[in-house]
Amino acid sequence: MPWPLQIAFRQLFPAGKRLPFFTFVAVVGVMLGVAVLIVVLSVMNGFGNQIRRMVVDTQGHVRVDTGGIIYHYNELREKVLAIEGVKAVAPFAQGMVMIQHANRPGFPVIQGIDPRHEAEVVPMERFLKSGALEDLDDDSILLSSGLAADLGARVGSEVEVYSPLVLEKLKRDEIFLPQRMRVVGIFETGWNQIDTNSAICTLRTMQDLYALGKGVHALKVRLQDGVDIDEAVARIQQQLGFPYRATSWLDSNRDFLFVLQLEKNMLMFLLLFIILVASFSITNSLLTTVVRKTREIGLFAALGARTGQVALCFCAQGLFIGVLGTLFGFALAALALHFRNDVIHAFARLTHSEAALLRFYQFANLPAEYSAHDLTVIAVATVIISTLAGVLPAWRAARMRPSEALRSE
Amino acid sequence: MSKEPGRVVLAAEDIVKTYRSGERRIDVLRGVDLAIREGESVSIRGESGSGKTTLLNILAGLERADAGRLFWQGEQVSGRSLNHLAVRRRGFIGMVFQAYYLVPELNALDNVILAGRIAGKNTRLLRERARALLARVGLAERVDHLPSRLSGGECQRVAIARALINEPPLILADEPTGNLDERTAEDVIDLLLGLCRETRTALVLVTHNAEHARRTSRQCRLHLGRLEA
Repeated sequence: MPWPLQIAFRQLFPAGKRLPFFTFVAVVGVMLGVAVLIVVLSVMNGFGNQIRRMVVDTQGHVRVDTGGIIYHYNELREKVLAIEGVKAVAPFAQGMVMIQHANRPGFPVIQGIDPRHEAEVVPMERFLKSGALEDLDDDSILLSSGLAADLGARVGSEVEVYSPLVLEKLKRDEIFLPQRMRVVGIFETGWNQIDTNSAICTLRTMQDLYALGKGVHALKVRLQDGVDIDEAVARIQQQLGFPYRATSWLDSNRDFLFVLQLEKNMLMFLLLFIILVASFSITNSLLTTVVRKTREIGLFAALGARTGQVALCFCAQGLFIGVLGTLFGFALAALALHFRNDVIHAFARLTHSEAALLRFYQFANLPAEYSAHDLTVIAVATVIISTLAGVLPAWRAARMRPSEALRSE
Repeated sequence: MSKEPGRVVLAAEDIVKTYRSGERRIDVLRGVDLAIREGESVSIRGESGSGKTTLLNILAGLERADAGRLFWQGEQVSGRSLNHLAVRRRGFIGMVFQAYYLVPELNALDNVILAGRIAGKNTRLLRERARALLARVGLAERVDHLPSRLSGGECQRVAIARALINEPPLILADEPTGNLDERTAEDVIDLLLGLCRETRTALVLVTHNAEHARRTSRQCRLHLGRLEA
C-alpha cells in the first residue's frame, strides 16, 4: 500500500487503539445515507415493477389495431400467433357505455372479450374478487370493484346497459330498450384507473352494443418470457404491414412510465443530499484533523513528501470513509429490506392499520427489488462525494509551509 | 571527526533572512556562510530566538532564504521549488527534531520505515535495515511499540534511526536533547555522534548545551544574525 494510503488508513483505524469517534461518526453518517437510498429506491423499484406487471397483465405486451374495426380477426390472430416470440393473442372491442342499477348510473369503459383466449393473455381469474369467469355469457357482465360499489351492485344483481347506439336510434324515432345483464363477477386489478370504472362482457355482447358485426377493435398480444419487446413489436409490424399498427405497452403508457421514472429519479436526487450532508461532516472533521496533525504534515515534508502526497493522506481518508460507509450501508439496507415485511406487519398490528394498508395501498407485503444500476450509481456517487469531502482538508494540508507546520504548537 | 577533509556536502553563502512583524523588521540572519564536509560534525549554539532553527530549516530546504545561495552536494538548490527540494532532500538529509515528531499511529518500526517509503525504497529491504538500526539504537525489543508506549529517550532513538534509514550524507539535528533529562540526553548525544562517526555522516547539531557542542568537530555560534566560529 503506498505510504499516504497507509497513513490515511492508520489515522482512521489506529492499531491497538479504540476506533476514533470521528471515524465512527463519519462512517455511520455515510452508511445511513446509503442504506436509506437503497431501501427507498428498492421499494420504488418494487412498486414500479409491480405496476408495470399490472399494466402488462391488464393490457398485454403489444396491442395490434388499425384505428378502425378489424373483421377477419381470427385469421389475423393466427398470423400473429405464428410470429416468433408471441405466446398468446386475444381479440377485444372496447367503448363507453352507461350502466344503471337501482337508479344509480355509471359510465364505465366496457371491454368485450373472448373468454377462451382472454385468459391466455390476461390472468382474469387472479383479478376476480367474487364470481367466476366461466359464468360470463352473452347476458352477463363483470364489474370492477369501484364501479360495483358506485352502482351498489354485487354478484347476482341485474344491471341495465345503454350503448351510444341509443342516440342513433333516438334520432330515427326507434324504440330503444337497454340490455339487461346479470352481474357474475367483481374484479380488482390493483390499478386504480381500471378498478374505479370498468366492466367486461363477452365479445358478442360488445359487438351487439356497438354494432360491430363480426368485428373487433384490436388484439392483445402476450409475448414469451425474455423476449425483447421492441424487437417483437418490430417483427409483428413487419409481418403484418399496413394498415395494422403494433404498439408496445411501453409506448401506450409512455407518459405514465415517464412520471414513474421521474418520481424515482427525483427521490434519488433528493436522498443524495443525505450523503452530501454526511460529506460535510467528513470535511469538517478532516479539517480538524489537519489542524491536529499540523506537525505531522510538516514532518512528511521534512522527510521528503511532495505536496500531492501530503494531500493524498487526507483525500484518501474521505475515500476510505466512503468505501466503508457504502459497504456497511449495503449491508444495513439488505438487512432492512430482508425484514421489511416483519417490520411493516409489526407496525400495522401496533397501530391497527393492517386493513387500511390493504385498502389504500393494495399491499400487505412491501414490494422491493434491487437494481444493479441503482446500486452502482449509489456506490459510485457515495465514494466520489466522500472523496471530494477530503479535497478541501487535503488542499489546506498541502498548502502548509513545512517550516511553519513544524513550529506549530 | 574525519581524519582527512571530505567533500563539501552542504554549503551556504551569505544567507539572509528577515521577518516582518507589522512595521517591525527582524533581521534573523544577516549573511551566514557555512560549509559542511563529509563526516564532519558542526554544532551551532546561540541564544533563544537567535535564528538557529530558522538557519537549520533554510539549510534543510524547508524554508527559503531572502538572499544567499545554498548548495547541496555541489548543486545550487536556492531558488528551487519546495516540491523539488522535498524530493531532493529524501536521500540527502536526515532530520532529528527536539519533539521527535513520530507518527503516533505507527509503531517504532513503521516510523523508521516511513522515511524510506517516502524516498520510494523497497519495503522489504527497508524493514531489514530498520530492524538493524533499531537494534543499533537499543530498541530491538520495542519495534512493535507505538510512540505512546515509548519514553522520550526511546522516541528520540527511533527518530535517529529514522534519520539514518536512507543513509543520508548529512543529518540536521535541532536540539535533539531539549526534551530529555541529563542522563538520557548524554546517551542520545553519544548515540548520534557515534552513529555519524561510524557511517561518516556529516552532522549539524543545534544545541544549547555547551558540553554537547564541545563534542563536535567544529563549534559555531549564531550571534546577531551571523555565524561565528
